[in-house]
Amino acid sequence: MGAFEKIVGRAWVLGDNIDTDQIIQGRYLTLLSYEEMAKHALKIPRPDFASGVKKNDVIVAGRNFGSGSSREEAPQVLKELGVGCIVAESFSRIFYRNGFNVGLPLMLVPGVSSNVEDGNLLTIDFTKGTLTNNDSGKMLQGEPLPSFMREILESGGAVSRYKKLKK
Amino acid sequence: MGATLAEKILGSHTEKGKATAGEIVETSVDLLMVHEVLGSRILPVLDEMGFDKVWDPDRILVVNDHWAPASDVNSSEIHRRNRQFVKEQNITHFCDVDCGICHQVLPEMGLVSPGDLIVGSDSHSTTYGAFNAFSTGLAATDSALIISTGSIWFRVPESIYVKIDGKFAEYVMSKDLILKIIADLGPDGANYQSLEFHGSTIDSMLVGERMTVCNMAVEAGAKSAPMNCNKHVEKWMKEHAPSRSLSPVEPDPDAEYVETFEYNLDKDPLEPMVAVPDNPTNGVPASEAAGTKFDQAFIGSCTNGRIQDLEIAAKILGGQKIHKDIRLIITPASKTTYMQALERGHIKTLMQSGAIITNSTCGACVGGHLGVLGAGEVCVSSTNRNFPGRMGHRDSKVYLASPATVAASALRGEITDPRRL
Repeated sequence: MGAFEKIVGRAWVLGDNIDTDQIIQGRYLTLLSYEEMAKHALKIPRPDFASGVKKNDVIVAGRNFGSGSSREEAPQVLKELGVGCIVAESFSRIFYRNGFNVGLPLMLVPGVSSNVEDGNLLTIDFTKGTLTNNDSGKMLQGEPLPSFMREILESGGAVSRYKKLKK
Repeated sequence: MGATLAEKILGSHTEKGKATAGEIVETSVDLLMVHEVLGSRILPVLDEMGFDKVWDPDRILVVNDHWAPASDVNSSEIHRRNRQFVKEQNITHFCDVDCGICHQVLPEMGLVSPGDLIVGSDSHSTTYGAFNAFSTGLAATDSALIISTGSIWFRVPESIYVKIDGKFAEYVMSKDLILKIIADLGPDGANYQSLEFHGSTIDSMLVGERMTVCNMAVEAGAKSAPMNCNKHVEKWMKEHAPSRSLSPVEPDPDAEYVETFEYNLDKDPLEPMVAVPDNPTNGVPASEAAGTKFDQAFIGSCTNGRIQDLEIAAKILGGQKIHKDIRLIITPASKTTYMQALERGHIKTLMQSGAIITNSTCGACVGGHLGVLGAGEVCVSSTNRNFPGRMGHRDSKVYLASPATVAASALRGEITDPRRL
């Protein structure tokens, strides 16, 4: 999986049903630069997120992450801030698709919200589909990526895949 | 094994003519609807792709609706880009800032027909299920791929069968029904799945009432929300797309459903519903939310800004003054709706009651403009989402209800069951 083999990052723990308005509010959607827009990412549930997030940090969420609007700005602003992976109990369908399209890995890990605390250091192994909590030592097995989604991610997102297929 | 509506419609848009739940299929799209996302997000993706020409200029609808007319310099730039794209690519179907909300204008332009596969760059694209279409929302990258190729992949969804029989009591609307259904399903109860609506209630519903139901199916995560065709849809098609021959699709009697929900409104009457903050699936009977004070009442959006909605609001308000402590904002779903309401005298009645009538736009519903909430403010709204901060400040709150409940509440200045006025 190239750059997507393994990442180590800190956890930002969120709850269930984090909708796209909480990820990026409608009022910021007219901003034409993702860099500018990203300053407002997750402002509602975590006002400290945009200024505190570091490269390869991991968002850990409960059920139905990314519900609501189809806005691709939601995964884009998280990717822009360097988020390495989103791990959740489940994802809303449009968000799931958008994440892979923009090249942001999403992983389904049952039981993740009760095994990770905010700020824990996590190791995500995309090849094995595992999440290890370095602080507690506990390893969780995630669901393997569907092969079609893996193909999109390995291509570097949907646009790169399109360009490769076109050649 | 027979096929569901989703399987049949998706299947008819594949090369092999067949689709079964769970498989990933490549489909050809009948129509793509894009709004401001075109100028802000899709065009940069098209640039990256090395895009040259749209796959078919007759099969794309471009709408400037979310920030119409432009609320700031950025939205103005986005609109400018959309107009330029429409010109350069010779796009046939374009609605500029004077037209209305995409999900209302698309059917008004006769661009959806039974059996169609429609994609919109907006999650409420499930609305066209009211016309017996498979329709769903995707975002910028997928829209860009459709603009260049006319095709897109889908995982064929499983289907949930929802059967509703019986009649609505007075002042109970299809909004109350969908608030009840999604409250039963929960915020991810239909995630990745197709919500198929059946029963005598659905069969006799007006087009506008059906659109409200299909529109909000996405709040339970539904990928699509198809209904069988009915006589009101047939009439609509004759008026709005007379040149198209109808080929309605029905599911097979032995189609397989993952779940079934049944409602009988005669045996178990439906009450007006209110979805309390912060999720559209938090529906409770209006009587339970009654008495809640608010600052703003709003009637509009792709969910409930149609002629029936303005009509019932006008009937309830009837020229009486709204409560002195609140403001009432009404945004008709389209210019056509606005004109109809003008001709029928509803606009005058609503204004005499103290309502502010805005042009057609998604404005207030997305916290964009023309009704943005301040810190700590509360709104009772006929829209579709009450997520934290949806209509403005992160500390504002939204209660979702039918236009009848919003109008009744506006008179009292607190959430009010319209039957108890």
